[in-house]
Amino acid sequence: MFFYKVKELSNKILFQDISSLDIINSCIKRIKKIDSKLGAFLKLNEHKAIHDALNSNNRITNGKRLSILDGLPIAIKDNIMVKNESMTSASKYLKGYISPYDATVIKKLKKAGIILLGRTNMDEFAMGCSTETSAYQKTVNPWNIKYIPGGSSGGSAVSVSAGMVPFALGSDTGGSIRQPASFCGIVGYKPTYGLVSRYGICALASSFDQIGILAKTVEDTMLLINIIKGIDYKDPTTCDYKELNDNKHYNNKNLLKGLRIGIPKQLINYRIDNVILDSFNESIKKLELEGVKILEIDIPEYKYVPALYKVIMCAEVSANIATFDGMRYGYRAFESIDLNDEYSKTRAESLGYEVKKRILFGTYVLSKKHYNDIFLHAQKIRTLLIERLEKIYKKCDFIFSPATMQMPVKFGEHLTEDCDVFLIAANLAGLPGITIPYKFVKNLPLGVHFMGSRFSDKLLLEVANNFEKIIGFNINKFPNCT
Amino acid sequence: MNNYEASIGLEIHVQINTKSKLFCECPTSFGEIPNSNICVICTSQPGVLPILNKKAVEAVIKTGLALNARINKKCFFARKQYFYPDIPKNYQITQFEYPICQEGKLILITSNIQKVINITRIHLEEDAGKLIHEFGNKKLDYSLLDLNRAGIGLMEIVTEPEINSANEAATFLNQLKNIIEYLNTSECNMEEGNMRCDVNVSLRNIVDKKLGTKIEIKNMNSISGIKDAITYEINRQRYILESRRKIKQETRLWDSNRKVTRSMRDKENTLDYRYFIDPNLIPITITETLIKNLNSEIPELPILKKNRFYKEYLLNEYDINFLVSDKNIADYFEKTVFFSKNKKRATKIIANWIITDLMTKLNENKLSIKESPINCENMAKLIDLIINGDISNKIARMIFEDMYIKSSDPRNILREKKLLQISDKKCLTEICNKAIIKNSKAALEFKNGKQKAIYAIVGFVMKETKGCANPKLINSILLELLTK
Repeated sequence: MFFYKVKELSNKILFQDISSLDIINSCIKRIKKIDSKLGAFLKLNEHKAIHDALNSNNRITNGKRLSILDGLPIAIKDNIMVKNESMTSASKYLKGYISPYDATVIKKLKKAGIILLGRTNMDEFAMGCSTETSAYQKTVNPWNIKYIPGGSSGGSAVSVSAGMVPFALGSDTGGSIRQPASFCGIVGYKPTYGLVSRYGICALASSFDQIGILAKTVEDTMLLINIIKGIDYKDPTTCDYKELNDNKHYNNKNLLKGLRIGIPKQLINYRIDNVILDSFNESIKKLELEGVKILEIDIPEYKYVPALYKVIMCAEVSANIATFDGMRYGYRAFESIDLNDEYSKTRAESLGYEVKKRILFGTYVLSKKHYNDIFLHAQKIRTLLIERLEKIYKKCDFIFSPATMQMPVKFGEHLTEDCDVFLIAANLAGLPGITIPYKFVKNLPLGVHFMGSRFSDKLLLEVANNFEKIIGFNINKFPNCT
Repeated sequence: MNNYEASIGLEIHVQINTKSKLFCECPTSFGEIPNSNICVICTSQPGVLPILNKKAVEAVIKTGLALNARINKKCFFARKQYFYPDIPKNYQITQFEYPICQEGKLILITSNIQKVINITRIHLEEDAGKLIHEFGNKKLDYSLLDLNRAGIGLMEIVTEPEINSANEAATFLNQLKNIIEYLNTSECNMEEGNMRCDVNVSLRNIVDKKLGTKIEIKNMNSISGIKDAITYEINRQRYILESRRKIKQETRLWDSNRKVTRSMRDKENTLDYRYFIDPNLIPITITETLIKNLNSEIPELPILKKNRFYKEYLLNEYDINFLVSDKNIADYFEKTVFFSKNKKRATKIIANWIITDLMTKLNENKLSIKESPINCENMAKLIDLIINGDISNKIARMIFEDMYIKSSDPRNILREKKLLQISDKKCLTEICNKAIIKNSKAALEFKNGKQKAIYAIVGFVMKETKGCANPKLINSILLELLTK
C-alpha cells in the first residue's frame, strides 16, 4: 500500500479498487509492526479511524465524496488541536489535556473526509531540532536508527518516511518541517506565513509559526495544501490569497526554462558537509541543463540569521509559554506556600530544560535593560533581511540552497548552529520554502531547498515538482526498519 | 498648604460598551453566573489567537475625537507581561508606544474658573478577570477566579499632572463621565466597575519648577473615594515635606474603610512588564474616511449644549446643569418643547415638570428617562393645558399620576374624569355666593380684617367644584363679593 502516491490511492478509492478501510487497516498494521522501534506516534486513533473509514466508504459508494482526499489517513503533529482529543505538545505540562476545539486546519481536513490516524512525537513545544526534547519518547531516523530523525516535527517525518501514512501535518518555526523531512528523505513544505491559519496550533513563536506538510512527493503536497490553506477570520495574520486557486496552469515542460534561480554567495562562509556541497553543485548543473539561469546573489544579513532567530523566537516563547501556569489546566504542583511558589514549582516540575532555557533567554532580551540593544536591534536587522530579500526577488524567482549544512547526526551528537540557516531565513521573512530529497549517501538522505517570494507558493510547488522529476529520486525506496 | 501645590494626574479605565469582548465573541453582560461568559480564547487555551473587535477601536477613536485628541493612523498592540491568575495569558494585550489617541484635552469648568487639562493618551486594552478571596465576611484559604470580565475592552485615558486639587479631580471625572455618556461609548457605571481610576499625586513647593516625587494610588471605585484619597494623600505628603523628610516613590492602596492610603510596593519593586508588539495582531490602520464617519456620529457635547440652552431657552444655571447632565434628559426636554404649542412660555414650566415631578417619579420606580411611561408629546399637551388655564396645577398633578400609570393623552383623562377647569364667571359667582353663605363666620372674620379667613371659603369652592375651579378667578370673585 505504501508504494502508492496519494493521487493513485485517491483514484483507487474512487474506482473502488480498494477502500478507505483497506488503507487504514494497512497503515495500522504497518504502524503496529514498525513503530515500536521508530517511536513516531504518541497516539494512534485506531477505532475512531476505522469508524471514519467506514463512513468514507459509504460516501464513496454513494457518490458523495467530500474531496479528492476523502478516506485517506493523515498523521498530525501533537501540537495541533483536535476537539476531544489529547494534545500534549510532547510536554509533561499538557499530559492529559483534552482539546476543547478543532484547529482551523483540522476542521478543513475533517470537511474533506481525511482521516486523522494518530498524533506524532515532536520536540517539547516544538523547541528542538532532533525530537529529543520530547517528554515522552525517543523517535529515531528510519534509515538508520542510530541517527536522529531531525525535528521538531520528527514524528511526522518518520511516519511518512517509513510508509506508515501517506502524509502528515507539522509545524515549522525555524525549519521544523523541512529539516526533519530532509533528514528522513521526504518532501517538507512550509507555506508563506499567512497562507495557512495558525488558529489551533500550540504557539511557539507567533511571528514564525506556520503549519505545513510532510509528504512523499511534491504532488501529494500540492493536493493537501489546497485543502488546508485559506484566509481565516480566527487568525488575523492570514491573507486572502487567491492565486493558489486560479486555473492558470504553468506549462510544466518549459517551466524551468528561463527560470532565474539565485544561489547565495554566503554558502562558502559555512562549514558544509562535503557530500552535501558536492550533491548541491551537481543539482545546480542539472537545473542548468534544463535551461535555468543560475545567478549568484548576495545576502550579507544571512550571517545574523541564527542570532536573530534565537533572540526573537525566545522573546515570543517567553510570552507564549507564560500561559502554562497550572491555574486553569495542565500540570499543577501539589504543595506550595504562596502564589509565586506555586507558579515556580508548577513550571519547574513540568517544563523541560530546553523550554526553560528559552524562557529565560527570552525574558532577558525583553527586559527593560536589554530591550533596545538586543530585541529591538534584532527586529531591525530582521527588517533589513526582509527588505534585502524583496530586492533579490526582483532579480531572481527562487533562492536555491542545500536543505541543511549537515547530514543527520547520531544521537548524542549535536548539529551546528548554522545547520538550518537557509531554512530559518524563510521563517524570519515569512517566505515559503520546500525541501526535496535529492539523494542518499551511505543510506542517509540529503535534500535541497527552494525558497520563494511571499505567496509564490503555487509556482514554488510547480518548480519543485519539476525538479523532483528531473532528479528521479526513487520515492518507492523505503527504509528497512523491521 | 500655602507653600505647596499638588499636581495630580489621572489614569482612568473605562469599560467600552461593546456587545462582545475585545478579542473574542463572548458577551460582556454584567452580573452573570461566574465563568459563564467565557470561551477558549479568553481562558487562553493552547493555540487560540485574538480576533480584534473593530467596534471597540471605533469607540476609542470617537472618545478621542470628542476630547480633541490626535488619532494615530497606524497603531499597534503590545503584550504587557506579568503573572497573575486574573490574566489567563499571563500577559495583557494593551497598547504601549503607539496608542490610538494622543494629545487630547478637556476644558475643566468650575464655578469660578475654566482650565484646560491635557490628555496624554487614550489607548485600548483588555480587562482582567476577578479574584475572590472571601465568601461573605469569611476569608477563604483559597481563591476563586471569575473570568467573565477577562477580555472585555477597556480604554485607558491618561491625563497630564495638571489637576491641582481633589475638587478639580472630581469635576474632571464628572465632566469626562458626562462626555462619555453622551458618546455612549461606555456605561460609566462606577458601582459595576465600568469606570475605574488610578491617581498620581505629587507635591512641590511653589517656588520649585520641577514636580515632586510621585505617589500612585490604586483601588478607588467612586468619585467621592477619589476625592477623599487625594485629600488624604496631599495632607500626608505635606506633613512629610513640612517635617523636612523625603517622599519615596511608591504605589499606595486606598483603604476605603479606614480612609487612609497604605503602601503597596516601592520603586525598587516596580515590575518590568517586558512590553513588545504582539505578533498575533496586525497593526490597526485608521483611515481618514473612518475618522470622518465617526466624527459625524458625535452628538452635541455637554458644553455646547449648555451654551445653546442658555441662549435658546433662557433657563437658569441649575435647570440647565440638571437637564444637560444626561443626554437623554436633555433630549426629552427639547422634544417636549418641540411638541408644545406655547414654546416661549412653556420652556421653564417643562423644565420644572421634568426636574421635579417626572424625575422623582422615575427615580422612585428605578426607571431611566428613556423608559418613561409619559412620552414627550403627552407631556407637552399637559403643559399646554396648564398654560391655557384649562387646568390648575393641582389637577395637572392628578392627571400626571394617571398619565404615568396609563401612558395616555392628558385630554382623554380630563374627559373621562370631567376635570376641565371651570372658568365660567357666572357659574363660579353662584358657587362663591353659596360658599359665603355657608361660611358666614369666615366671611365675617375676613371683613374684620383677618385675611387668612378667605382660605376656608376658597376651600369650600374647590370642594364643590371637585378642584376644577380656576383659583385666580375664585380669588377675584370672592374679593369682589366680600368687599362689596
